[in-house]
Amino acid sequence: MLSLPYSKTKRYLTGIDWIIHVLNYMTLKETGAGFMSQIVIEVVGKVNADELFKSLNAFIKKYPVLYGYASRDINLAPYWKIPALKKTEVLFDSITAGYDDGFENIIEFLEKKINTAFQDKRHHLAFSLINSENKSYIAMRFDHLIFDAANAEAFIHLFQKQWIDAKYPDSNIIPEPPHLNLWKQKFLAGQRVNRAFLKIADKIPPRVFPLPASKSGFKFKILSFDKQTADEIAEKAFNEAGYLMLMPYALAVSVYCFNKIFINRSITSGDYVIPVSVNTKKQAKEQKSEFFNNVSFFIFKIKADLAENFPGLLNSIKEQMYNQVKEDLPGDLCKASLLMRIAPLFLLGRLMKIYLKGEVASFSFSYLGEATYTSNDFMANKVLNLFHMPRVPIPPGIGIFFQRSNERLNIILSYIDGILKNDEAEEIMNLIRPMLGVK
Amino acid sequence: MDKEKYKVIEEALKLEIAAILSQDIGAIDPEIPLHEMGLDSLGFVELLVIMENKFNIKLMESGLTKNDFKTIKALSLKIKELI
Repeated sequence: MLSLPYSKTKRYLTGIDWIIHVLNYMTLKETGAGFMSQIVIEVVGKVNADELFKSLNAFIKKYPVLYGYASRDINLAPYWKIPALKKTEVLFDSITAGYDDGFENIIEFLEKKINTAFQDKRHHLAFSLINSENKSYIAMRFDHLIFDAANAEAFIHLFQKQWIDAKYPDSNIIPEPPHLNLWKQKFLAGQRVNRAFLKIADKIPPRVFPLPASKSGFKFKILSFDKQTADEIAEKAFNEAGYLMLMPYALAVSVYCFNKIFINRSITSGDYVIPVSVNTKKQAKEQKSEFFNNVSFFIFKIKADLAENFPGLLNSIKEQMYNQVKEDLPGDLCKASLLMRIAPLFLLGRLMKIYLKGEVASFSFSYLGEATYTSNDFMANKVLNLFHMPRVPIPPGIGIFFQRSNERLNIILSYIDGILKNDEAEEIMNLIRPMLGVK
Repeated sequence: MDKEKYKVIEEALKLEIAAILSQDIGAIDPEIPLHEMGLDSLGFVELLVIMENKFNIKLMESGLTKNDFKTIKALSLKIKELI
């Protein structure tokens, strides 16, 4: 049977893409800005703002997909409408930081950027450059509608590769089928996902921090470790949790430290429910696009009384991870979510809160174990670090992210202003250090 | 006989790791530590689940000590011991 070629102006959204649209809708409704993230590359020396702007323009104009928006096809499947190539300038701004501006001031500026909403439904990407005395910071703010964290890093890496060659070839978006077949398989996956969620659901909602009445922007706390310390942390994790068990170890440390703050606040009701995003690109049998979302999720439920018993906590996380891999929960979520695309965003947003009695999670967690920006330079400047500043969907409005960048390990706490006091956020970071064996 | 058994296990591991890492099987060196190959927690657990099903053994319960799991060579010996 002959298959028709896919339209170049249309890219069907997967079920996970649609869930990301729902999270974007919910976050936008609560804060006025969507489910965005920002990648920050810290480099040695000054980056030439004009050259960066020109090079980015030459690169970005080859990707009209970046100026698309969601629509619904005649067959009801949602798709990303890709506009025709036209002359457009990348959103870009640059500032020069003062001599006395320390890292905290830089973070404050970056916080302002990541909390700035895109003004047009066709805008999903913006760049900022901060030149300070002897370092520069290049920030790429992006909508999760077009990139997951790993794809966004890969995209900047592609820019770096093409900048070296001074050639910006036309892009070719890998098509995605509408997935309007294999219904039985999808329904069976839906049944298994439903059972898994019912197992997690309880009579009472999970333990959460109450959201502040007025929600402005997200705040960030960052811990960054050099190669030697990162290797020591990995070794400690291998010894305590088992070989390669860094992700379960990092999650156990996070639950342990968050629990202290919950106890200090006398919030003792409910267990912990934590969604953990996983990259599905590597495991995909077919080639996957550099755009959109190649992720799925594990859902961990941690009994509150285990949170202070670190070995028990670790075992529970490892056991749940093993069972969810064995039952292929992330794969089932991908299949089942294809059925959810029929629901409008507001309705799906409400449905997502049904299982956990109006809540979605205690906090978000992710572990990005492998950098996809692997170059040692950005343009001609030596890279010192690369870290992510993600806005967490609301609810829960708080999350913690472990991320390897070349040889470093970064830990980023992201929270909606007011959900934690500054002291509490500092305390979480201070608790994490000794738990990882860092003085 | 023992050598043959080892070879079957090693080949199965190489095949699965190559698939998980989207690499050519020829690029998989049995003596390189798995974390240096780029295998992460998720990929590793997937590998263990596949091996458990293939050889009808339990690996997750064995403590996952680095010496037993670090390389394809070490893991092949561990699996051989459990079969």
